[in-house]
Amino acid sequence: MDDKRARFEEQVLPHLDAAYRFARWLCYAPGDADDVVQDAVLRAFRGFDALRGSDAKSWLLTIVRNCHLTAAKQQQRRAFVPLPEENDEVDGHAMTATTADPEGESILSDQKQTLERLMASLPEEHRTVLMLREIEEMDYAQIAAVTHVPIGTVMSRLARSRAALKAKWLQEVEGEPRAVR
Amino acid sequence: MQCAESLRVQAYFDREVDAVSAAEIERHAEHCSECRALLEDLEKVRTTMRRHVTYSAAPPALRAQILRALDQEGATGQTDIAATPPSKPRSLARQPRLWRGRAFWTGTFSGIGGAAMAAAIAFFLVMPAMVNPLTNDLVNAHVRSLMPEHLIDVVSTDKHTVKPWFAGHADVSPVVADFESQGYKLIGGRADYIDHQRSAVVVYQHGSHFINVFTWAGADRRNLNNTTRNGYHLAFWQQGDIQYCAVSDAGWDEIQGLARLLREQA
Repeated sequence: MDDKRARFEEQVLPHLDAAYRFARWLCYAPGDADDVVQDAVLRAFRGFDALRGSDAKSWLLTIVRNCHLTAAKQQQRRAFVPLPEENDEVDGHAMTATTADPEGESILSDQKQTLERLMASLPEEHRTVLMLREIEEMDYAQIAAVTHVPIGTVMSRLARSRAALKAKWLQEVEGEPRAVR
Repeated sequence: MQCAESLRVQAYFDREVDAVSAAEIERHAEHCSECRALLEDLEKVRTTMRRHVTYSAAPPALRAQILRALDQEGATGQTDIAATPPSKPRSLARQPRLWRGRAFWTGTFSGIGGAAMAAAIAFFLVMPAMVNPLTNDLVNAHVRSLMPEHLIDVVSTDKHTVKPWFAGHADVSPVVADFESQGYKLIGGRADYIDHQRSAVVVYQHGSHFINVFTWAGADRRNLNNTTRNGYHLAFWQQGDIQYCAVSDAGWDEIQGLARLLREQA
């Protein structure tokens, strides 16, 4: 038993930060992410014997995603909670009216917020593949394992989400329709 | 409207294609302005995301809470997930029926089943690699380094500070350089014990990932092939009579990128 615990701490817990980051992007509210991650780690521990030598990170993130889906199903009324800044359902065109002077010293943090908001406006399955690829730096096979879809689907989701994010980003941050840079 | 090659171009960008396809795609992109633009866009999205996404680590309180929950879990005895329905989660009062939903079972079983299958396959594939105890040592050392306060002995982003520090603390003097503009920030150095010697470890940060570059003396490459253990990639190479190994949970591509840069420094 102690041995199992030690192996678990050695193989799975190092990926706790990745699990948490992933959960934050799946559910937004930090409290929800905490619950999902804790739930996932406990389940991972119970099913730990199934892991044996395979990719612990993909495995843990898979369980995080399952836990998130289960929890989300339970609270269907809030299938999607936008980040606090604004309601962005009008798909990128709902510009923040409160923009401070755009040349201000806080441009970088503005851009951070904008990116997070734009990410939030993507459909969940798109956001997920983007995060796994660009931030967690997983390859197609790992992403396919975590999201339970074929590699072809991973590729098309990646393509669509990247194109969507780029278009929104250009529109909001770099001025009007891609003419001037 | 969209070039039929766009998905392959994306796969090329993500380094998911072999060398032959890569050459084909490069040739294609020379003639296809749309795919050239696509490559630029992909790079732009990547840079933007890596620059702006907030990398949040798990809060210490959550980590502590999870460790406590694991203690309790251990105390209640080993429950086999497939055989017995798990007990109600203790600290998740807000989602009392979580475990009994059908979605949970279908989700978990497909996950665990898939993982079990993958584990069975991986077990055989991984066996030969496990023969080398050095691989284990390196992964363990990497994991140990990620524990609080263990990562770095000398904190510096300046190679002129890190490199001399090794002179008194390790048996080798590795290449140390900062590649912040290329996305690999030098954050410090550490001494570790690898392959019966005092190894010099240079620590880099790439986005949310730490990369430990272990170095030790030894000209003989005893089957040190690139490998993956527990979700960590290990990339080996040699420079002069120093053996290098970069360990990280960053992507393969990103680790190889650092290895390339370091080799070019020699």
